Amino acid sequence: MSAAAAWPIAPGSLPPAVAAAVWHGDQIASPAETVLPTGWSPLDRELPGGGWPHRALSEVLTPQPSMIEWRLMAPALRTVVAADRQIVVIGPPRQPHMPGLIHEGIDDRHLVLVDAEKPADRLWVTDQVIRSGAAGAVLAWLPHARPEQVRRLQVSAQGSDSPVFLFRPEAARHEPSAAPTRVLAVPGLDWTLRVSILKRRGPMHEGMLDLPSIPGGLAAVLTPRMRYPSRLFTRGAGRALGRAAARQDRRHAAA
Amino acid sequence: MLWVALLPGKTDGTPQHDDLAGLAIWALQYTPRVALVEGAIVMEVAASLSLFGGRDALRERMAREAAELGAGPPAWSGTSLAAIALARAGVHDAGVDQPVAEALDPLPIAALPGIEPHEVTLRQIGCRSLGDLRRLPRGGVSRRFGAGLLHTLDRACGLRPETHAWVTAPETFSARLELMARVEMAPAMLFAARRLLLQMAGWLAARHAGITAFTLRWAHDSMRARDAAASGDLTVRTAEPMRDVEHLTRLLGENLARVRLAAPVAEIMLEALDVRPLAGQSASLIPDPVGEGEALALTLERIAARLGPDRVLRPTLLPDHRPGRMQRWQPALSRPGRRQPSLVKMPAPTFMLAEPLRLAMRGDRPMYQGPLLLLAGPHRIDGGWWHRETTDTGEVSRAVQRDYWVAVSEHCGVLWVYRERHPVDGAVWFLHGAFA
Repeated sequence: MSAAAAWPIAPGSLPPAVAAAVWHGDQIASPAETVLPTGWSPLDRELPGGGWPHRALSEVLTPQPSMIEWRLMAPALRTVVAADRQIVVIGPPRQPHMPGLIHEGIDDRHLVLVDAEKPADRLWVTDQVIRSGAAGAVLAWLPHARPEQVRRLQVSAQGSDSPVFLFRPEAARHEPSAAPTRVLAVPGLDWTLRVSILKRRGPMHEGMLDLPSIPGGLAAVLTPRMRYPSRLFTRGAGRALGRAAARQDRRHAAA
Repeated sequence: MLWVALLPGKTDGTPQHDDLAGLAIWALQYTPRVALVEGAIVMEVAASLSLFGGRDALRERMAREAAELGAGPPAWSGTSLAAIALARAGVHDAGVDQPVAEALDPLPIAALPGIEPHEVTLRQIGCRSLGDLRRLPRGGVSRRFGAGLLHTLDRACGLRPETHAWVTAPETFSARLELMARVEMAPAMLFAARRLLLQMAGWLAARHAGITAFTLRWAHDSMRARDAAASGDLTVRTAEPMRDVEHLTRLLGENLARVRLAAPVAEIMLEALDVRPLAGQSASLIPDPVGEGEALALTLERIAARLGPDRVLRPTLLPDHRPGRMQRWQPALSRPGRRQPSLVKMPAPTFMLAEPLRLAMRGDRPMYQGPLLLLAGPHRIDGGWWHRETTDTGEVSRAVQRDYWVAVSEHCGVLWVYRERHPVDGAVWFLHGAFA
């Protein structure tokens, strides 16, 4: 019996199961693992599998902390809350405020805050929560994490079923990172989030995605004019608004 | 009938009563039929095999835990005396699959309990193994050594019934252990304490109970410094009743890490304080995610043990409409209070500053990393005149009268700022939150 007969696949081709598991660098990977939909279809289209990956780290870089994190995460976290799973928040730079989060669809029974000050404690807590695999989502602010520490968390995340989000400063984009997904998010003026994908299992992503987002129940109070603050900024009408408030002050002071 | 025999660890001289009693309590988790016979523990486990995943799984688990408890490896056989004989002879892998008599035959006569008075005589007549003894004529043996020897041999071979006085689990648990060496660092006690935790887990399983509080006490060495106390203790509490040794060990480890010993420790003692009923978990063919909530609670408990219970928090909404007082953070492991519906229907920020930050002004306009565009407002929040708090500097009113605005910044997103009247400066602007 010749070797060719024992090997039913022609050289150069792969069995379908193997071919499906091989990721070609020019395609967006479609991992077999589950994902957490981001809530924005333009962003889902650009991410492998159509959402934030489970069993892996996703790094979110922002120019400043506590600026747009909940706006970016809330649509995804809503599905976590709907599945009655817990969101664990580790070391946020400011206090999460429930009345605002309730507007975003995150209720108080599904949120746990771990207030860890020291970077080493934060890493330990993050690692413990990831390893337990029992959280519906893990949100950790790790501004000082070193690349090898992120790698270690990634190894833990691979063995756990929770999606893990690390919030890090924009400066970290120049450091190597073991997280398979990295996005940079900055607030846009006209109620948008501007997201660019720095790293994904797929080809380079160019340009910014503009994702509409009105936070904290503001949608109900915005007039059509307020929907485009950028125009107000450029026309200087903002100053007029400010002046109106100031005039009121003077009246108060005089009274 | 399937019997397991365990000998307490190699200690100098006769085995301590404490060692045997501790082993017996640990053994009660496998079967209620546990007895103390001739300085050994015997237990009858035929009815427990399928509960513990079959004979091989049970053998493996018992061998592992017995080693941790410092006992000899368990020996298995069809009768309790045969199991003890096998354990004494150090034969641990025979005796399960072959007839009892065949397993006993090659053993030296000293292995059989109750043979000691006749051992020398038997050896002198050339009877070295139990097989030799069995081949002697029964009438002669009975006349020469008395009927007791034959009865023992028959019981060991399963020809005559055995009777046992079963051990019962005590109402309370308290176990002590003398350390082999003086321990100077608290975390080093954990290894010894784990032995006691294993015993306690056995006792809890036998009583179908879980624990929510236990105390580890330690007695300091008698050669301690004059000002050191005679003993110390540490009480560990868990949120939910439980008997998982791994979790209890880790919890104790986190707590011990923060203990400083006043003197070297010679002896430790473990005491169960608060015991609650706890039903065992049904095993499932399909792994189900229901156990998750529990696992998260365990993880949070461990984190709280290291960082402190006030670092693992859950929010509670309060029926107040003053910003900064709409919610309170309380320890996640405490019992949740009554749930209050949120009063807030108005827009609210998702991040709050612990203390409002006074903003710089350029002309009339507040600045925060560049000019702020005041977009929506004012939203007057006025109230709290009834609220007074006593601080170091005297009584302070917590009344607020503020005009909140939603402000947009080019660099830092959407912010929540307010203006307040100031006795000296007129109107003052503060940053209080972020719609992040």
